Amino acid sequence: MSNFLKKEGEEAELTTPLHAPIKRRSFFMYAGATAGATALLLSGCDDDDDETPAAGTVSLGSGDIGVLNYAYALEQLEAAFYAQVIATPYASMPADEMTALTAIAKHEAIHRDFFKAAIPAASRIPALNPDFSSINFSSRDAVLGAAKTFEDLGVAAYNGAGSLLKSPDYLLLAGKIVSVEARHAAYVRDLLDNGSFAGSDVVNANGLDQALPVATVLAAAQKYIKETINGDNVGK
Amino acid sequence: MNFLQLLADLAQANPAVYTQASQRRTMLRQLSQLGGRVAATALPLLAVSTSTAKAGTRENLLDVLQLALTLEYLESDFYRTALGKLARPDGSLVSADFVPASLRADLETLQLHEDQHVAFLQAALENSGVVVPARPRFDFTGSRNGAQAALFPDVFTNFDTFLQVAQTLEDAGVRAYKGQAGFLINDNALLEAAFRIHSVEARHASHIRRLRRLRQTGAAEPIRNWVGPGLSGSPAAPASDAAYVGEDALTQALPNSATVQLEELRIGSDRDRALRSAQEAFDEPLTTAQSTALANIFIY
Repeated sequence: MSNFLKKEGEEAELTTPLHAPIKRRSFFMYAGATAGATALLLSGCDDDDDETPAAGTVSLGSGDIGVLNYAYALEQLEAAFYAQVIATPYASMPADEMTALTAIAKHEAIHRDFFKAAIPAASRIPALNPDFSSINFSSRDAVLGAAKTFEDLGVAAYNGAGSLLKSPDYLLLAGKIVSVEARHAAYVRDLLDNGSFAGSDVVNANGLDQALPVATVLAAAQKYIKETINGDNVGK
Repeated sequence: MNFLQLLADLAQANPAVYTQASQRRTMLRQLSQLGGRVAATALPLLAVSTSTAKAGTRENLLDVLQLALTLEYLESDFYRTALGKLARPDGSLVSADFVPASLRADLETLQLHEDQHVAFLQAALENSGVVVPARPRFDFTGSRNGAQAALFPDVFTNFDTFLQVAQTLEDAGVRAYKGQAGFLINDNALLEAAFRIHSVEARHASHIRRLRRLRQTGAAEPIRNWVGPGLSGSPAAPASDAAYVGEDALTQALPNSATVQLEELRIGSDRDRALRSAQEAFDEPLTTAQSTALANIFIY
């Protein structure tokens, strides 16, 4: 615990509000120091204290709001993953990788919090509970492999969801975020295998990146989320 | 007569009939057979849909495809020139040892994707029954073949300059597609294709930024894979600045004039770092006019 509390600089700041109330900061340190990976709420420390973690099945809803909740769920997953990556870095993580993974963690936290702010509270899904028990956070290969999965999946999810949106404002926002996810994906892929930034496993013979339907993405993401996510009506 | 504008109106009125490329082609053919003088009264649906269209907010699909194709031609010819596969305006080929041997495969990958995008967009235009625009003539020094002072005189003799221009083109390409997405909102097939090209361009941009970072020596800060302030912004200021205008936005728009102020999100206690992260987390669009102006820097 003392090591975590002493940690300063970017890692410690990641989960801290720009104008941080003490309560929230101390809550997160408590969570990070004692609860470990699995108990960490995907959304970090919510400023809505009345928001309780979901249990059972979570429905993403329908129409554009359903698409936003879909994105919010995926961003919660990514944000929690990277928060764990930098809270418990793999052995001998080089400084440049710590810098970049910290930056990615911040981007994902911003995406998560952006969707939380953008979706009306009445139709917003709650904070989800991650299940990263299948990921060995002490292994560089395991962490970067999972990061690659999450980023490529995120890119494919946004690429598949754009055409579900009716609002041009939401469509533009999806575009603004998906390219940042693609930058992340390329970064992580190059770390694992230099030159694989846009490998033939993700870019087809027409030069098109993957686009996956909601059901396919959720099936892949489900193993990392404790709640059962229902996306049957997303975009409908 | 702007057939694709009419189609966009039709699609807005009845998106269900407009989901297949074959239907798009059929409708275009029918419209073209009307001789280019379609009166709104001849197609009652048009009168209805046009009256409900938002004035000044939509451009036609043909314009989107042609702009995209121009940008893909630009990128394709850029890499082909660097790889010695295409002559420069003066007829000379770039030196065979210009691209470091260790990076040749990377550039081949980039060129392959841009060629694939060119072919894809050409096919999309052909399927819409319109003449595919020819490749423009490009001068990647930005001198318009000697008509003005070069912006990037050593683009094919200094590999670092080449990477600066490559990053500018890829980052700008990402932004240009983003700015066109809204015009495709009624054509799901084209919209999805545009998204899928767009994210490949972002992967390219990210990789080129990595290549630049690996070549840095004694720099104050590392070049990052994402767009941000300082060395992660415009790579060849001021010549490349136009490609980065507005990337520092901190306000994100929602429907009905609502916004999210990124500064209000909890993103860290160090203000400068927090603002950097907020800028990095969202890539911003370029307008059609901005994208066209950028392409025109290299067209003579």
